Amino acid sequence: MEKRLIKKDALGGIIRKIGEDGPVYAPVKVEDNVLFKLLEKGDEPLTTFANSKNAPKNIFFPRTEVMMRYTRTPKGTEFASLETESGQAVLFGVRPCDARSYVLLDMLFDQEKYKDPFWIDKRSKTTIVSMACSRPPYTTCFCTSVGGHPVSSEGADVLLVDLGDQFLAEFITEKGAKLLKYFGDVQADDGAVKKKEEIAAQAETLITSRIPAKEIKPILDVNFEHPFWNTIHQKCLACGTCTYLCPTCHCFDISDEMKYDDGRRLRNWDSCMYPMFTKETSGHNPRTSQKERWRQRAMHKFKYYVDNFNAIACVGCGRCVMYCPVNIDIRKIVEDISKL
Amino acid sequence: MQNPYVPYPVEVIKIVTEVDTKDIKTFRFAFLNKEDEEKFRYIPGQFGELSIFGKGESPIGIASSPTQKGYVEFTVQKAGVVTSALHEMEEGTRMGLRGPLGNSWPIEYLEGKNIVIVGGGFAFTTLRSLINYMIHGDNRKRFGKITVVYGARNPGLLIYKDELDVWAKRDDIDLNVTVDKGDAGWKGREGFVPTVCKEVAPSSENAVTVICGPPIMIRFTLPVFFDLGFSKENIITSLEMRMKCGIGKCGRCNVGSKYVCKDGPVFSLAELDKLTKEY
Repeated sequence: MEKRLIKKDALGGIIRKIGEDGPVYAPVKVEDNVLFKLLEKGDEPLTTFANSKNAPKNIFFPRTEVMMRYTRTPKGTEFASLETESGQAVLFGVRPCDARSYVLLDMLFDQEKYKDPFWIDKRSKTTIVSMACSRPPYTTCFCTSVGGHPVSSEGADVLLVDLGDQFLAEFITEKGAKLLKYFGDVQADDGAVKKKEEIAAQAETLITSRIPAKEIKPILDVNFEHPFWNTIHQKCLACGTCTYLCPTCHCFDISDEMKYDDGRRLRNWDSCMYPMFTKETSGHNPRTSQKERWRQRAMHKFKYYVDNFNAIACVGCGRCVMYCPVNIDIRKIVEDISKL
Repeated sequence: MQNPYVPYPVEVIKIVTEVDTKDIKTFRFAFLNKEDEEKFRYIPGQFGELSIFGKGESPIGIASSPTQKGYVEFTVQKAGVVTSALHEMEEGTRMGLRGPLGNSWPIEYLEGKNIVIVGGGFAFTTLRSLINYMIHGDNRKRFGKITVVYGARNPGLLIYKDELDVWAKRDDIDLNVTVDKGDAGWKGREGFVPTVCKEVAPSSENAVTVICGPPIMIRFTLPVFFDLGFSKENIITSLEMRMKCGIGKCGRCNVGSKYVCKDGPVFSLAELDKLTKEY
């Protein structure tokens, strides 16, 4: 594996240089938020930031995505064109928790049978440059409890690690190695690699929020019916913020939109927190109240995904904890379940 | 990579209004591209997404049998946006069809066994597919005795009436059609499906029952089959849930860890017992 060292103040220039040669998504400041966006002329990519407010899942799975277009003909309304083709891109500055979410979502969107071409096309053409959390940014971070690590390279093509005075760049995959030319020619020595390992060990200790996320699986297996489920949802507003900010939530709706003779079929993010999510035409709804919806969310992340893919559908980014308007804390829910 | 979200273009070539209330019709579709018919090779019990651009999609069980070549049929009740648009359609209209989706009736498991088909109302569609499959030509000898109990609330609500008459004339199928309440012209059987099942009393010896109908019918019919000695492995049904993608991605039709769209819709009672009761 190629390893390079770069000066800290050189990184911004490197990103801009990559951006001159092709599209780059990077964290930028938008009003008061840090968000990932396609760099345009004049945008300042951030090289020191905690994490973006939204998970960067929208790069591969946009909030609204045109799937296909159609047109009205004398015979009916007929298919016109498909919208899968995207170009090569570089996604810079993804935190290890978010990079890991791509690996988790590949399990769903890229199965042996039934592949999702919209996800796979964008995913396969994008090079991911991760930025390790040498200093985990938030007290709500809990990646180590769900299988992640603040200096993990999982899901990354290139991993950048802040060593204090400079960045170590590790080129993990072949796709990542194509970016080598932008990173100068200072080879990383053993000292730098050793320093990275020290930083990784220290970063792990700085994640103090620990939850028994793996341990609750056998408890969830046998407690679909339990009075505990009556206790979570009471204050839930069903706003769906947790699912929209979540890097691993992948539920979507498919809808049609027509103007005059032309129309398009779209997929939009949807949320299991909404009553209409499962409501059938007859009026029957298998999940009648917010209790069932919350149980679904918890079960999906910590049991169903484990059953189907042997992985927890949570990366411990803590966004749902930080931004829930009524302070529902998934860490507390997991903790409480572990005591059932 | 074949994009599973893109429907095959089809043309409505025949529409049959099935019931007196006119809200249940059978639509026969032909594929506009001949090769798509080959790609849409299905097994009874599977479903398709009827896709009307500008309106949306609706997951509906396939009502024809794969032994019927050149077309595929769906029997649809007018209920929501898509099915209402469908009911407005005339022969010759073009639309889309995705699939086939889901598992199917367990044909291999059914082979060599006596089959008891129980249907209620218009949930008879994929059962009709199965019956036509089993009684077709050489297929017939792969299955044992075939008993059918089919009921509707009144004679006007029975679907596939012409076919029921044809089946009634065959001696290799024991057809029992019943209505909750007959009318002046009704000469057939009266009585609820569970009661008729009790009267017909099919043996559970080397037998499987395949049952589809409204929840209330199923609830009262199951005890009858338990009393007849049918095990939960040998009672098979099909679930319905709100669906969008049909391929286990959009996340809404799961019952526990199983997606009804791809792991179902067909489950045995033994399998359902292992799932949560959230459907």
